[in-house]
Amino acid sequence: MNLDDALNTFVIESRELLESMEEALLRVEQSPHDEDLINAIFRAAHTIKGSAGLFGLDHVVAFTHNAENVLDSVRSGELEIDGDLVALFLQVCDHMGSLVANVAEGKEFGEDIRQRSDELTAQLKGQMTAHQSAGAAGAPAEASSSAASSEHVAVPAGGGEGGAAHAETDNWHISMRFGKDVLKNGMDPASFIRYLTTFGRIVNIVTLLDEIPRAAEMDPEDCYLGFEISYRTDADKAAIESAFEFVQDDARIRIVPPHSKIGDYLDLIREMPETEMRLGEILVRCGTLTENELDAALLAQQAADASSEAHQPLGTVLVAEQMVSPTVVQAALQKQKQVKETKGGDASMIRVNADKLDEHINLIGELIIASASIDLTALKSGNPELLEAASVMKRLVENVRDSALQLRMVQIGATFNKFQRVVRDVSREIGKDIRLEISGAETELDKTVVEKIGDPLTHLVRNSMDHGIEPVDVRLARGKPPHGTLRLNAYHDSGAIAIEVIDDGGGLNKERILAKALERGLVKPEQMLSDDEIHKLIFEPGFSTAEQINNLSGRGVGMDVVRRNIRDLRGSIDIDTEEGVGTTMRIRLPLTLAIIDGFLVGVGGSSFVVPLEMVVECVELSQEEIDAAHGRQHLNLRGEVLPFIRLKELFDIADAPPPAIDADADSPFGLQLESGRDDLPPVDEELAFLLQPVRRENVVVVNYAGHRAGLVVDTLQGEYQTVIRPLGAVFSGIEGISGFTILGTGQVALILDVPGLVRRVASKESRVNARAASYVMRE
Amino acid sequence: MAEATSPDLAVPALCILGDFTIFAAADLKPKIIEAINQGETDEVVIDLADVSEIDSAGLQLMVMAMREGAAQSKNVRFTRHSEPVLNLIDLFGLSGFFGTPALAGSTH
Amino acid sequence: MAKTIMIVDDSASLRQVVGIALKGAGYDVVEACDGKDALGKLDGRKLHLIISDVNMPNMDGISFVKAAKQLPAYKFTPVIMLTTEAGDAMKQQGQAAGAKAWVVKPFQPAQMLAAVSKLVLP
Repeated sequence: MNLDDALNTFVIESRELLESMEEALLRVEQSPHDEDLINAIFRAAHTIKGSAGLFGLDHVVAFTHNAENVLDSVRSGELEIDGDLVALFLQVCDHMGSLVANVAEGKEFGEDIRQRSDELTAQLKGQMTAHQSAGAAGAPAEASSSAASSEHVAVPAGGGEGGAAHAETDNWHISMRFGKDVLKNGMDPASFIRYLTTFGRIVNIVTLLDEIPRAAEMDPEDCYLGFEISYRTDADKAAIESAFEFVQDDARIRIVPPHSKIGDYLDLIREMPETEMRLGEILVRCGTLTENELDAALLAQQAADASSEAHQPLGTVLVAEQMVSPTVVQAALQKQKQVKETKGGDASMIRVNADKLDEHINLIGELIIASASIDLTALKSGNPELLEAASVMKRLVENVRDSALQLRMVQIGATFNKFQRVVRDVSREIGKDIRLEISGAETELDKTVVEKIGDPLTHLVRNSMDHGIEPVDVRLARGKPPHGTLRLNAYHDSGAIAIEVIDDGGGLNKERILAKALERGLVKPEQMLSDDEIHKLIFEPGFSTAEQINNLSGRGVGMDVVRRNIRDLRGSIDIDTEEGVGTTMRIRLPLTLAIIDGFLVGVGGSSFVVPLEMVVECVELSQEEIDAAHGRQHLNLRGEVLPFIRLKELFDIADAPPPAIDADADSPFGLQLESGRDDLPPVDEELAFLLQPVRRENVVVVNYAGHRAGLVVDTLQGEYQTVIRPLGAVFSGIEGISGFTILGTGQVALILDVPGLVRRVASKESRVNARAASYVMRE
Repeated sequence: MAEATSPDLAVPALCILGDFTIFAAADLKPKIIEAINQGETDEVVIDLADVSEIDSAGLQLMVMAMREGAAQSKNVRFTRHSEPVLNLIDLFGLSGFFGTPALAGSTH
Repeated sequence: MAKTIMIVDDSASLRQVVGIALKGAGYDVVEACDGKDALGKLDGRKLHLIISDVNMPNMDGISFVKAAKQLPAYKFTPVIMLTTEAGDAMKQQGQAAGAKAWVVKPFQPAQMLAAVSKLVLP
């Protein structure tokens, strides 16, 4: 742990704080008296300022300070929260974000940033002066109270006549009388005296024990001590004073500088509770005063007494002080009761560097591969003990994988909440009244997915606000409430997460989309398209139905980019829409990008992995069925029409030599077909079919987003857990493949892009690409 | 002052262990008084060898003990002062009062 | 034996920097991220000083100090509260709860070290 790490922590925590500040700001407008919200906003500024100070980030401190001042007035109820103040603080929040970003990049603050700070500071100060002019009356009282509390300042110069001579000593004199509660308050007089020794030398000390009462009356937790110290230091008075800052209310401290006038010591003698003679002697014992100086002082004292009773008023001041303090304490206790404890979740969290977590996940990926390798070896060896051990390990590795992946899971709520701001800003900008509702915020998904989903989601939200939700007059004409509603929803759906952007707007206009698509040459006039296909045209590159180019659509990101981004995440997007009622854009994403449960299949000599969550079932094609399906590319599955793809044809794979019953143990997946040996252990049922001679074709039925398709393969090799590795740039254009993985044997297996393949068979356009006639799927 | 450092064979009436601070003061006060009251000889020995921490509260109790002993005409004597005890006595300039050796490097 | 100091603040970076400074000076350091967390860590271990922020989630510093002062083992433990200059009313509440020492945020590590040294030397 060093300061750089700490600075990094500062950046991370500041970002989190700013996020919660923004969230609270957006909510506080609705409930301006919610103390928890106001407190959250204040705390963000407060904490960032406090930490920034530690790193010497003066500019951040100075800027945040003004924000904090205004927030403090809000907190104390002096200033009301309103729309303008929220708007100002949203800007402040953004600016603090840029300050933090600057810190993160290790840059100096540039002129533009400073200028922005000044602008916002001026606005913040405007808020302050507005309310201060109202509350100025309180200031003088405050000033006088702070004067009273600085009782420990050095004895004022002056004193009686005859006190004008200077003492000879080079030492400071410090006189202390501690209040009886100091020990109970955790303040040990000894610690202050020890602290003095860190920047000076105690020449002499006299500890006054006179006040310690007889045993019967003594409260062992009370302090009865006083000290007279002769002290030598190069430090100034302020430094010595500061040693006692924590006991200034609980002790009487007098500091007399070297060579002070005798009169100053006289004041000291007068003020302390001991008799004048006794204290005078102590000062002499301390070496602060010589005998002669003391005599002169006492003479002056008598003269002063004759003319006025100088110490009398002091006594009354002290009594008055004691009268005051109980009521102060009382008032404080009253307030104390009002302090509300904010409830919250368990705070036992550990912050872990994301890189470390990634490394951990990668290692688990390797572990899974290694475990698969052992599994295969065990199966090959036929040693029952080894098989047993391997299966136990496999199970444990799966548990480790699940818990490791769980570590990466975060709730989508934080991402959703960011849209409060987007919706607020955009609806102001485009002059529509749109409210955001959030549901399913607690749905968890992989951190990397969350990070990458922000942009596509932003675009969908803006698209809905811009094109989906109608202007007020149209809404009213349609009998809808004047304000539009946008809903973000998330839920888990069979191994995937679905994220929905739902609006109650006008819905997609089929005719207009089709017309535009024809105009842009995206479809041909003779093409017959389903509704769904028409709707999805909006995701085609170069498509835009925006009738008026405005600020938002001018941002240059089209819906095609949204779809591409989502596909990059191995996800898909589809649309439910009803004209005049609203539109739902539904994104489906895998829960994690790192590891999948796969189903291993063989085609010729190659192996492929199908994501298990998409496998519906495996069926065998009899020779008749193969013949019947020949040239049709779809078959009859229990009365349903199932389009299929022959992977062998798709990937141009040569026929592998037919697997023999006595296959060589070194064949790629030597486990499968060794039924000829009688020393083999019973093979588990899942694999039993592998023992039959392969005369039939196998079809893996996959389902994706409601569409089914069959993949025709040679062999089924069972479930297989695997780590996804991305394809290099060279292969990135290959359709139907989303990645690769390394099998336990060291062989490479390609991971099938099932969504891509399903799209292929489900889309009419694929007719052009496919070798045979395609089949159009309708739900 | 040699008695404080030379082996002390007197049987202590009380050994103060660990904290001799404000945290223990309320407990220790009656124990100290009891030790003094029950001391049958003129000398009441309080062993400070195992005092790990002492503060002003502890020191006040030591003063109280000596005064209480004097009131009962008994000689309350502290032995085997641990280092924290000696340090505090030295800091407060009370070596003379308690009859402990001044520490090396002391200012007095 | 090193003196042990507990630092309670919801800012991890603040805890880290203060922790580095205190450990460098020879103290042992216990960290807690809010009042509730801190209270859970008051398990009887010897603490020579508690440094606590006021404004924290879950349990604020004043409530924490008040609760800590109810525990025999921490009844008299000195407390430094971290506050802003704008916190006069807060200061009074803190005083009543038993926190007599205050350090104003923002502060430099050296300032914190000086404040700590006034109450406990390592």
